[in-house]
Amino acid sequence: MSTKQIIYLALIAVILVGLALFPFMTQDDSTFNLVILVFLYMTLASSWNILGGYTGQTNLGHAAFFGAGSLATRLLWVGGFPAVPSILAGGVIAVALALAIGIPAFKLKGVYFAIGTLALALILNITIGNVFPEMSYNPAISDYQIVPRYYLFLGLTVITIAAAYFLVNSRWGLGMMAVREGEEAAESLGISALRHKLLALAASAFFAGLAGSAFAYYHVSYYLNMPFGPEWTFDPMMMAYIGGTGTVIGPIIGSIFFVGLKQLLVWNVGEYHLIIFGVLFILIVLFLPGGLVEAWKKYQRWFTRWYQRRNTSPRNVIGTGHLP
Amino acid sequence: MGFLRVEGLNKAFGGLKAVNNLNFEVAEGEILGIIGPNGSGKTTTLNLVTGFLTPTSGKITFRGEDITGLPRYRISQKGIARTFQLCKPFLDFTALQNVMVGRAYGQDPSGNLKTAAVESAEILELVGMASKSNVLVSDLTVMERKRLELARALATRPVLLLLDEFMAGLNPKEADEACGLITRIRAGNVTIIMVEHIVKAVCCISNRVLVLNMGSKIAEGSPDDITHDPQVIEVYLGKSHAQH
Repeated sequence: MSTKQIIYLALIAVILVGLALFPFMTQDDSTFNLVILVFLYMTLASSWNILGGYTGQTNLGHAAFFGAGSLATRLLWVGGFPAVPSILAGGVIAVALALAIGIPAFKLKGVYFAIGTLALALILNITIGNVFPEMSYNPAISDYQIVPRYYLFLGLTVITIAAAYFLVNSRWGLGMMAVREGEEAAESLGISALRHKLLALAASAFFAGLAGSAFAYYHVSYYLNMPFGPEWTFDPMMMAYIGGTGTVIGPIIGSIFFVGLKQLLVWNVGEYHLIIFGVLFILIVLFLPGGLVEAWKKYQRWFTRWYQRRNTSPRNVIGTGHLP
Repeated sequence: MGFLRVEGLNKAFGGLKAVNNLNFEVAEGEILGIIGPNGSGKTTTLNLVTGFLTPTSGKITFRGEDITGLPRYRISQKGIARTFQLCKPFLDFTALQNVMVGRAYGQDPSGNLKTAAVESAEILELVGMASKSNVLVSDLTVMERKRLELARALATRPVLLLLDEFMAGLNPKEADEACGLITRIRAGNVTIIMVEHIVKAVCCISNRVLVLNMGSKIAEGSPDDITHDPQVIEVYLGKSHAQH
């Protein structure tokens, strides 16, 4: 192992230990809720990124998988099932739904998948709202504890990010990226584009579904169609773009940045924060398509060059043409 | 039983017959050139053999097995590789990563990515790109991209390689290099079909040449025979030249 890898591993270990000990440092519910929100977004943005960032397939209906997971879990749990199998069922239902839309949509070329997923989420949002118009209350409301929910979200986030990391660094991950870079060329080298897209979609939907399940276990009261709302697609997507799509770290940074900035703006400008986010998203897509990760890389390259020039330029020689 | 056998191949795009009742065979170990003027069906033929297009009718047999209409990635896994007329590299990848894709998939793929990386580096060296292995594709020149395209196709361990206008856009010196490269690949027991627009580029290295015009075969034979065939001269240069 190289020194760099050891430093990274140590850093990750420190962060994980810190997060594991976090409940011993605070009792404040609003702090917990804020951190849980960041975890939830990290899971959604990272799972969206597996398909959208690494495989190049734009999913405009991530909320459908998030919603399906939350719906399945909430209904089972309210119906008397134990929490753990209810949560796992949410992930499975999301994958089933993903394959049902993905297999026909991916067999067609072009934008059908993007439109199909967008429509799926919208239809489910409206339908579920009509079928279940009542507010849903948490079955554990009399004995509600935030700490186990905090650990559930922490575990889910770590597993999602680790799974994304190992998937994209595997042979399948290389194949997925090749499909993104050029489907024809990838297939000419022996890659089945359909199979890679479906695998990425299934993984993406599975973790989005689990995020929905955790949400259903966590949230005290909400309308059952609320997790199908478009904000659960577009916010995580924007986070992935802000941080940098097609990188493991991008969605993590993006989620922290997004939630932090949103808090700051909501305090100061209220509802106008939506406009600011819209403009920010457009600016990033136009000028920084690789997000903050790309910005950091550019800065590093610039810094290295500047540093080399500073140490090698013959400053004491007159007339070398160097500007001060 | 031939190595590759094409029988009664037809491809129609609406009313246009791009390939019309084409029959030919390729023997193991040879370099077959396919030439013809614009729109004669050369690239369509290549796309049909590699599964990028499905024939309207006809049969393609590879090593005794019917491969007509198989998905293109299955054809690649059977040992038939191709390059594209306009290079299609994976732009966000380094040269090495590009080749690794072919090595990780294709025929007889490497068990893991580490082995794939080692074997891919060897292939890059074979095409003279060892020093560019960690360079992003966007920083490569046209000739380097062509070499990379070739390396990537070779990484799938093909027994049959189809080159689509590989010589196009190269200057005479580069074309000479490319000829050397193709001859070297052929020496590694790879049968080659090269589709070219330029007669000269093919004739210097092909064992046999097939001439297409309007989707049909008009001549077949050694490069020498082909260049003296009146019909070939006619389709390239017009009737008046053919009479001389």
